[in-house]
Amino acid sequence: MWSFYIEQLIHSLPFFLKGLWMTIAVSGLSLLAGTVIGFIWGILRASRSRFVKPLIGAWVDVVRGTPFLVQVFIIFFLLPEFGIQLEAFPAAVIALSNLAACFICEIVAAGIQAVPAGQREAATSTGLNGVQQLRYVILPQSMRIILPPLVGQFVLLIKDSSVVSAIGVMDVTRVGWLTVQRVPQGLLVFGLVAVLYFVICYPLIRISNSLEKRMSAGVTQNKM
Amino acid sequence: MLETFNFRVIIEYLPLFWSCFLATLWLSTAGLLGALVIGTLACGMRIGRYKPLAIAASAYIESIRSTPLLVQLFFFYFGLPSLGIRLSEATTGILALALNSGAYMAEIIRAGIQSISYGQVEAAVASGLNYFQRMRHIILPQAIGMTLPPMLGQAIVLVKDSALLSLISLPELTRAGQIMTSERFMPAEGFLTSALFYLLIYYILKGLTHWSQKRLIYMQT
Amino acid sequence: MIEFRDVHKWFGELHVLKGINLKVDPAEVLVVCGPSGSGKSTLIRCINRLEPIQKGALIVDTMKVHESKTNMTRLRAEIGFVFQQFNLYPHMTALQNVTLAPMKVRKTSKKVAEEQGRYVLEKVGLGDKLNQYPAQLSGGQQQRVAIARGLCMRPKIMLFDEPTSALDPEMINEVLEVMRNLAREGMTMIVVTHEMGFAREVSHRVAFMDYGELIEIAPPEEFFSRPKSERTKLFLSKILTH
Repeated sequence: MWSFYIEQLIHSLPFFLKGLWMTIAVSGLSLLAGTVIGFIWGILRASRSRFVKPLIGAWVDVVRGTPFLVQVFIIFFLLPEFGIQLEAFPAAVIALSNLAACFICEIVAAGIQAVPAGQREAATSTGLNGVQQLRYVILPQSMRIILPPLVGQFVLLIKDSSVVSAIGVMDVTRVGWLTVQRVPQGLLVFGLVAVLYFVICYPLIRISNSLEKRMSAGVTQNKM
Repeated sequence: MLETFNFRVIIEYLPLFWSCFLATLWLSTAGLLGALVIGTLACGMRIGRYKPLAIAASAYIESIRSTPLLVQLFFFYFGLPSLGIRLSEATTGILALALNSGAYMAEIIRAGIQSISYGQVEAAVASGLNYFQRMRHIILPQAIGMTLPPMLGQAIVLVKDSALLSLISLPELTRAGQIMTSERFMPAEGFLTSALFYLLIYYILKGLTHWSQKRLIYMQT
Repeated sequence: MIEFRDVHKWFGELHVLKGINLKVDPAEVLVVCGPSGSGKSTLIRCINRLEPIQKGALIVDTMKVHESKTNMTRLRAEIGFVFQQFNLYPHMTALQNVTLAPMKVRKTSKKVAEEQGRYVLEKVGLGDKLNQYPAQLSGGQQQRVAIARGLCMRPKIMLFDEPTSALDPEMINEVLEVMRNLAREGMTMIVVTHEMGFAREVSHRVAFMDYGELIEIAPPEEFFSRPKSERTKLFLSKILTH
């Protein structure tokens, strides 16, 4: 009986690989958009602007305090009421990009604030303006602090992408959910799905860990 | 949109939201307690001296961290019946939450224990305390102090994770929103109300985290 | 060149500069000393508006620093600032540290900026360290690069905030030597320091600050041998005996 189910699964393999591709597509697009937006918000969060900083902070807090599933539902069901007709895939990418941006924003802001204040003062003293300081002095130094948690965050977001299967996006989780209706072997089906996620996530986790080790080993102390 | 925002329907559904809110609370609490037990166990296995157990614990932790909670949930929900194990949805949900958060708790506890300076362990050994005494009087009390804030952080994650239980038809906060969507075609009112309840829990837990960090500041040497 | 007119500054409730009146002429070397918390660092940090002032007038090279509409970018290009903690950019070589501002603020071409950078680094004795990173340099070398970074903009004024306080004793002299040469060439300098030997040899005037007030200011011979105020005498006795 088991061999029958395994045979069925092997037949469905192309279906699963298409689902895997969808997972990669949703995650990839959202990570791209989320990183760009997250960096912009993070830079604004680390600035001294009295208006934008708390505004972004409030939004990030709300996004971090509510379940992603609820956010996905809200975006999928709410935006049509504003006249924006959305299909599942775009809604998923918007929701995941927003989630990504909010978490990456905090990582970037923390990285920028970790650069010693003396660096900013030295740059100011030579006449560099805010944008020049950020570009040549602050951001390059903050990248060392931002990179490890950033990669870790990518892993979290790829896992979170499984949630968008709830609004019908045909990612690898949804393929599993559909398959298990025909092939009632939950262990095999979702075991396979788990392995597919593992294959994408585990290397990234290892990269993040080794980045963390390299970055903290290479920190140079100012010779005093 | 606000003109069409139907507050009256929300009030009508308030009893449903309230009972689902309580359901979320008790599901999360049960999951959290399970996570603490599993986490402590897994941590003990991981840092213990018996190699096979350590490897098993590591394998458990790494698999949980590399796969989504939703997949783990479906794995148990669809998989256990085929093994002949019939659990209620609630039990399955709590099991999945506990196993998932348990892995993260194990790492939090491990970090807490390893952050205690080795000198204290040496002092305890020198004064003749055995392994269990050292654990009980020196290591664990400090470890708990160090780990309380990250544990509260994991509790926040767990409450948000509990929303996924709505996808196995468990009545809880997100499901309330789904019900309001399917019964009244009012997803905005439904899910925004759910979101508000979640935010309530979030801010309470966040406040607790800040309070615990302030109270335990003397632990930082 | 630099003029403080009844300048007051507060950090919140704390009154850190109380009615400072001071004039510094071009090519003058002024040393400012005093106990910690006296406001001497704050004094020079106000000159390039790293710290703003709340009351009074501060005029630098005919520009009104106390007015917020003044364009500080132009003024800061004319002022070199050397920090106690060097504050070199760790991700850039010595040459890159020195040429960043000229290229971005004065819009000098890379070729010209590198020539100027090489000249200035040779001047501070580090011509062979152009492509080294700060982490590869000793404290004294780093501080000399910091001075070169200030000089590369061809400033009219150089400000030094305790330039040798963070250095090991054997490296202090190499930095003071560079500063001595600058003074000899006629640079306008204000130096906050505890190095009284330098003050005696190189400065035109020495100023003493305590609790935010400018207590006394005089040429070094007068300052060290015939201090007028009791507080100055007390400070000098403490600092000259060890």
